Amino acid sequence: MEALRQAFDFSDFPRTDLCVAVAVAVFLFVFPALPHSSFAMATMIQFLMFSVYGMGWNTIGGYGGQVDLGKAQYVGIGAYTTAVMQIRWDLPFWVSLPIGMSLAVGWSFIIGYPLFRLRGHYFAIATIATSLILKDVFESWSFIGGARGLKIPLRAEMPDFWFLQFREDYYYYYVILAFFFVGLIYLNWFRQSRIGMQLRCIKDNEEMARSLGIDSHWAKIKAYAVATAFVAAVGSFHACYNFNIEPEDVMSLDLSVLIALMAMLGGAGSLWGPIIGAAILVPMKNYLGAWFGAKAGLIGLDLIIYSTIIMAIAAFEPRGIWGIVTRIRQSRSD
Amino acid sequence: MDAFLLQMAKAITAGLLMGLVFGLVALGLTIIFGVMDIVNFAHGEFLMIGMYAGLLTATVFGLDPLFGLPVAAVVGFALGIACYYGLVRFLLRGPMVAQLFGTFGLMLFLRNVALLIMGADPQSVHSGLLVGKSFVLGPGIVIEVTKLAAGGLSLLAFGFMWWVMKRTKIGKALTATALDAQAARYMGIPTERMNSLAWGLGGATVGMAGALLLNFWPVEPNVGLLFTMIAFATVALGGFGSISGAAVAGLIVGLLINIPSMWDAFSMLIGGDRLQVGLLHQFKYSFVYAAYFLIMVFRPRGLFGWKH
Repeated sequence: MEALRQAFDFSDFPRTDLCVAVAVAVFLFVFPALPHSSFAMATMIQFLMFSVYGMGWNTIGGYGGQVDLGKAQYVGIGAYTTAVMQIRWDLPFWVSLPIGMSLAVGWSFIIGYPLFRLRGHYFAIATIATSLILKDVFESWSFIGGARGLKIPLRAEMPDFWFLQFREDYYYYYVILAFFFVGLIYLNWFRQSRIGMQLRCIKDNEEMARSLGIDSHWAKIKAYAVATAFVAAVGSFHACYNFNIEPEDVMSLDLSVLIALMAMLGGAGSLWGPIIGAAILVPMKNYLGAWFGAKAGLIGLDLIIYSTIIMAIAAFEPRGIWGIVTRIRQSRSD
Repeated sequence: MDAFLLQMAKAITAGLLMGLVFGLVALGLTIIFGVMDIVNFAHGEFLMIGMYAGLLTATVFGLDPLFGLPVAAVVGFALGIACYYGLVRFLLRGPMVAQLFGTFGLMLFLRNVALLIMGADPQSVHSGLLVGKSFVLGPGIVIEVTKLAAGGLSLLAFGFMWWVMKRTKIGKALTATALDAQAARYMGIPTERMNSLAWGLGGATVGMAGALLLNFWPVEPNVGLLFTMIAFATVALGGFGSISGAAVAGLIVGLLINIPSMWDAFSMLIGGDRLQVGLLHQFKYSFVYAAYFLIMVFRPRGLFGWKH
């Protein structure tokens, strides 16, 4: 009960934050009713997916300060569990979702144990290595389709809420919106919980945290598992939303980095950071790609602009956009 | 039995020759890392630009690809210096996360600039003094001259870098900066310039590696990532910051990548039916990643490392 009360307790945020948050929430609820193109709808769904990915990354990467660049392997585990169970055994999404999350979390414990003996750069590169090994395994495993991936067959009746197959995109939109709010509420509890406090202490000074009696190794593994559960859940959703999954799509290094990047850009270690990051990067990437991709001879220009922004953020405000906001606030209150 | 020995000998020579080039690729990374504790995700992209520099000297000026070597070294040096003053200098002020993402942004940037200018098609050199020639070393073991030359020139480059780092005043200043930047500054060493020099030297070595690699590996804008990962694994194996470590670890990584070919040799020896021939070829890079993971977990100093 106490935990539930804490989860809905946003009282330590300034009032302006809450007003903006409520306005954004209302906008997200009514968005499908507003006139929009199908491209905008797809962009919004992607924005919500990446927000949840980013929230997951934020637990270990933001609050815990451990830069994890291997999240795509868990997206892959979630997506493949859902797809395989649906194709082979005709099991609905809501059954395969918890199974996929459990499998991913189990795997995260197995590799998390040795992984968290490393720190800093070494940890980041090791997460990439594990992710790429798992991708190689998935690409050569014929039971799950190998490098060509899997295609989920369409069902006779649509809309199908058990198998999450819809003809209209707004059904998907509301499903992922529900994930988004559950994730946000959970994260609001997480940041005030014991483990959240421990992580922040570890991020500031690991030796100090250990001297205070925090089992830093175990705390990091737990936070890593939480992040994994978030990411695997969205991976399962991704399988149903796209119908078509292949290792290059759901397990590439680019996806891992994109997840981390959005949280970083928005502001790692703050509740709103990943959402802000996704709200900026996803539309920018999609629309820049659509504008420049159509023009011949300009391939890559969208990513050049995109990477310039990444470099500028990393060089001048590593705390991200939320860092800029807090800096402005501090200068006002002084 | 003969078939087994032959296959093994082939796998091992191929592995060792490739390994020398991998070592040279890793050398650039380890110099940069050793001096300033920063991991350069764009390292493979430096290699890609070195390869394109070699390619352009060969095609535009009609020179032999071997002349691409000094050109690529100069281009790599300039690129390293430019990246240091344009980006890395600012990244050093921020936390470790900023360095990771800054160099990752650099990687995306260089890759897409190459895509915009050169196009996505893989390109390779088709003519030249060495291309396509080979000589026979014993029955059935054929060594391509390009790979032999690449291996030999890598060794030379290693020797040169070792001489620079250990026997010259600049090398000593670089080592001093690596050991303790603040103390080095008190001794009158311009550490800022040493940092930029480390980036220049790192870029020059990896540029040379690119020009050597070009003789037998087609270049395209996405070629870099694989080599970045291989270089990370090599550097971790050899110990971050160690030159001789990079050379030995490069050879080990070259052998690791040829594990699938050795497996084929064993399966021929025992009988191809029970052990599938060609089973492991899809995993050839996984062995390198796994080696990185294991060495980092069990011996973080690497095999020859002096700095952790």
